[in-house]
Amino acid sequence: MAAAPPDNDVLWARGIVKSHHGTPALRGVSLGVREGEVLAVTGPRGSGKSTLLGCLSALLPVDEGEVWFNSAPVHTLGRAGRERLRRDRFGFVGSEPHLVPELTARENVALPLLLAGAGGKAAHTAADEWLERLDIGELAKVRPDRLLQSQRQRIAVARALAPLPPVVFADDPTAPLHRETADQVLRILTSAARSHQLTLVLATHDPELVRYADRAVALVDGRLTGPVAPVPRAPAAPGTAGTTAVPAAGH
Amino acid sequence: MFYLRLARGYRALDLGRWLLTALAGAVVAAFLLRALGRAMSDPVAGSDALVRLLWCLPPLAAVAWFAAVAARALPARRAERITGLTTAGAGAARIRALIAGEVALACGTGAGLTLLLFLILRNDIAGPALADELGMGVALPAAAPVALLALVPLTAGLAAAGAVPHAETLPGRPRPEPTGFGPWRLALPIGLVVLGLALELIALRPGAAADGRPIHLPAGLGTTSTAALGGWAACALGLALLTGPLLGWAGRLLAVGRPTPLRLLAGRGLTAQARRLGAPLAVLTLALAMVLTTIRYWLGEPGSADVLPAIEAGLVLGCAAGAVAVRLAELRTARRGGCEALLRLGTAPRLLVGAVVLRTLMAGTVLLVTGGATAALAAAGLR
Repeated sequence: MAAAPPDNDVLWARGIVKSHHGTPALRGVSLGVREGEVLAVTGPRGSGKSTLLGCLSALLPVDEGEVWFNSAPVHTLGRAGRERLRRDRFGFVGSEPHLVPELTARENVALPLLLAGAGGKAAHTAADEWLERLDIGELAKVRPDRLLQSQRQRIAVARALAPLPPVVFADDPTAPLHRETADQVLRILTSAARSHQLTLVLATHDPELVRYADRAVALVDGRLTGPVAPVPRAPAAPGTAGTTAVPAAGH
Repeated sequence: MFYLRLARGYRALDLGRWLLTALAGAVVAAFLLRALGRAMSDPVAGSDALVRLLWCLPPLAAVAWFAAVAARALPARRAERITGLTTAGAGAARIRALIAGEVALACGTGAGLTLLLFLILRNDIAGPALADELGMGVALPAAAPVALLALVPLTAGLAAAGAVPHAETLPGRPRPEPTGFGPWRLALPIGLVVLGLALELIALRPGAAADGRPIHLPAGLGTTSTAALGGWAACALGLALLTGPLLGWAGRLLAVGRPTPLRLLAGRGLTAQARRLGAPLAVLTLALAMVLTTIRYWLGEPGSADVLPAIEAGLVLGCAAGAVAVRLAELRTARRGGCEALLRLGTAPRLLVGAVVLRTLMAGTVLLVTGGATAALAAAGLR
């Protein structure tokens, strides 16, 4: 517990252990996510990707271990603190769109901004812009149950990106999509992350999608294996970061 | 045995539903048997017996309504059970039969217990006080009570079977429910309310009291005129049908302009639920309004007070309230996904609770208006 997280890691986890009512999901995962990078977490179904993203994104409390965001501890936060962190700092796209059914597409996208205290007009303008960027601008006034699954998933992406949170988590965002839509969604996610210097943590079961990431780690049965970035014990200079990262291209 | 095994997995709300169904079935059976007993004691007064039988219809309808609402909610609330049954090879008809059979069994149990009590009481246990009601001293034709009592589980079971929704969807992917109201669905109740108000005004005009032919209402409710009764009935039906659209408009009003998250969630939620919530809330409001209007007639004159209308009113109110509770539970299950999405976004639970409170207040206001208008019109028409 003595080691402070490295400065250039926006998210830093050490020895996370998490089980769901006795079923172990994570068995000691240590990971650093650098600011502005696109990190892919790969692994088959049931390997613990969703749980890892849940722990990193302050949705789930960890059983053991530490999670730090911007040099502030997340694992010690209570429920309200984690809610605030999720609302103000994190964006999330799941494998299902998980939209609020009674709200229109525009209201769904504007909701995180409204929750964070933005004015109604600014929130709706931003929502319209992001819907336009994802080619669903004409569906702004339609409720999700009248839309195709691919359109709903694009609304979910717009909702995660609209507040421009420092970190965006995407948990198998292409699972419900056909290939061409999946490509479009991933291109939008990664290009938005790059152009706005957002950090993107992308969990996927599809090893092909690793090509969108700067770096990839593999998760098997709740443990990181393969091209794992060793957790730096001391603040590392940005120049040395490359030695710890395994380029996605070589994977 | 299968039902007993299903019942073992029941939670409080399911057991409450089962007990309410059984209790309601028992009470309706008691009404039916009382009508039979009176008819046996006094075979000459045929039309009175018919009236007594007709008075059994409102409670029977209430039980059927509750059974239908409960059966409608069951697949949504116990999705894993239906999925399990479907995966095991049970088809739509079998699931329908299972749910209807469960309701019929509950009603049958209640009715059977009542019949047992009836037969016990006929052995001169209650003394002469109940002799007329039980048809004591007259031989009981075996087919009569069985036919009457089969009516209760049969009606409730059929209502339940008709209400079970069936959609061929993947488990966990419910079919989206329509939310809006069509133009006819709006025009009809508005027309009914206007017509009813006009009739009521004609009935209440100065000098209308001279109209010669008052209608004597049952259960000591006094007299009224044809125009007043018809006007009230049209208004009550129109207001009941209008409850759903009014709830939807109230939701729009809450979220008007550029709403805060609280107003947005409360308003849009109310609008989305208006169609499903409208019917059970309207039935409960109508029943409450009628009971509140008539209760003073029972309380005012002890001599005319009869315990049977009170029991009947209690049964109808209980079934209507039970239907509202079941529908609310169903909607809560349906909203679980949306709530999880909101919590995932970091919405404070306080905000969600606030939205529910605001929504409830708004819905309560709408019901106060429709129920109050129904009760006021009824009170105005009675003399």
